[in-house]
Amino acid sequence: MEKTEIFVVGGGAAGMAAAIEAARAGAKVTVIDENERPGGQLFKQIHKFFGSGVHRAGTRGMQIGRDLLKEAREAGVKTRLNTVVYGIYPGKRLGLVCGDHTEELASPIIILATGASENALAFPGWTLPGVMGAGATQTLININRVLPGRRALMVGAGNVGLIVTYQLLQAGGDVAAIVEALPYIGGYGVHASKVRRAGVSILTSHMVLRAEGNESVERAVIAQVDEKWQPVAGTEEVLEVDTICLAVGLSPLAELAWIAGCQFSYLPALGGWVPVHDENMESSLQGIYVAGDLAGIEEASTAMEEGRLAGLSAAEALGYLSHEVAETRKIEVQERLAALRIGSFGDGRAMAKKEFLRARCEK
Amino acid sequence: MKNDDLVICRCEEVTQADIKEVISQGVTRMNEVKRLTRAGMGLCQGKTCGRLVTGILARETNQPLQELKPPTSRPPTRVLPLGILSRTTQDDD
Amino acid sequence: MRIEDHPILGKAERGKRITLNVDGEAVAAFEGENIAAALIASGRRVFRYTAKRMEPRGVFCASGRCTDCVMIVDGQPDVRTCVTPARDSMVIQTQVSRREGEATHDLEKEKD
Repeated sequence: MEKTEIFVVGGGAAGMAAAIEAARAGAKVTVIDENERPGGQLFKQIHKFFGSGVHRAGTRGMQIGRDLLKEAREAGVKTRLNTVVYGIYPGKRLGLVCGDHTEELASPIIILATGASENALAFPGWTLPGVMGAGATQTLININRVLPGRRALMVGAGNVGLIVTYQLLQAGGDVAAIVEALPYIGGYGVHASKVRRAGVSILTSHMVLRAEGNESVERAVIAQVDEKWQPVAGTEEVLEVDTICLAVGLSPLAELAWIAGCQFSYLPALGGWVPVHDENMESSLQGIYVAGDLAGIEEASTAMEEGRLAGLSAAEALGYLSHEVAETRKIEVQERLAALRIGSFGDGRAMAKKEFLRARCEK
Repeated sequence: MKNDDLVICRCEEVTQADIKEVISQGVTRMNEVKRLTRAGMGLCQGKTCGRLVTGILARETNQPLQELKPPTSRPPTRVLPLGILSRTTQDDD
Repeated sequence: MRIEDHPILGKAERGKRITLNVDGEAVAAFEGENIAAALIASGRRVFRYTAKRMEPRGVFCASGRCTDCVMIVDGQPDVRTCVTPARDSMVIQTQVSRREGEATHDLEKEKD
């Protein structure tokens, strides 16, 4: 069997894009994913993506997922599914669990693309069955094709909250309201208008006070909050819902990068603790690259571009691409990334990403 | 949030009061909170409660979030069948 | 509640019809879907009870991370039902978690 030169951990948007670029350049690449099927979160994104033509705007996430898998097959990327990377050790050795046995594998280059996890929000009753992540809801309705309940309350009016609300309606569910603690809607206006047109009110400066129910959620109590995020007396309202979806942000899923010993930086604009990386997506450890939500929470389109950067850089490091060719290709990707990181969200992220490069230069 | 009976770590059922209690005894680091309360030591290894615990510690001790690194991650990163790792990991906790 | 027709996704394509044994009751499922999906479709919300407070828990992350949906599957405790595919005749039990060092019991034994 050919020896793998690059292990990519995580077969989502970033990991698959990285694998495709590196394999096209000639590297022997294996993607490891703990799920039964690769594609990460792309297959539950049934809405059309934004951006310009080169970013495949207007294409649904699930279609991009199908295309990535096809491209990966054609490029000769190997995949190991149902396989958990449980640890990472000096010498770029990965500890794997597959079925009932463990394995240890090493490769000269590792690309970590482990994605994100949903943030939680603790309030009385939040452990009751029926309270779940908005991403969890999206998985249930769009992948598993089951509704988590009859009527939901959405907590958070960022893009995830707005999109999942709309998708709950598309799936035949009902959404009582969206509450948002901030005095404004965080997500794009297009998504907000869509849910409003569908009859769902977005209550800004509102929060969920508690979930009530015997064995599972039977109702939610919401209230208006003041500028110090304290509930305003007399504004409490009871909503008859059996599901409460939490859409309060994502954090990089970084355990493997921590275990590996990567240097981290705390950057709120990118979701919290993020492994420091350079413009090639290489972490503070030589030969260990990071990409996608792990390298800072953004969107699927930026995740893919970062994956491509990591893949190109890895192929260059292995000698499959000349410096000139690699540079030309990387500049193209950088330009697309810069175009994606514009607007109110993008500016903050672009700045945060620049922080890394400054930190690296000072070292 | 005032509710001290609030469960923060869903796996080990550690409450806000439990966490505040160890903080009142002088704890300032995430590793210590984890070790003393077991918050984050359950099946999910702190994937759900990590940020919540950090928030409480930051608030109670007036520390900025960037001063509070998450507790040390150790393999395995996922719940695995018992005994499967006996050959490959060291139990250093 | 299963979503059969969908404006974007179309008709659901499902595997072979199978039957799960859940706490002694027959629950209809489709081969290949995960256990949690089949249980939610059947109207179940409580997957386990916690060790200290005996509180009910159900699906929370649906991606294998939070471990709130663990159940006893074919005798094995702590199985993450949201990422474990259903197979015909699987025996699934509500899990009552215990403190460290104690064995995990199923609900029926707990009641005796």
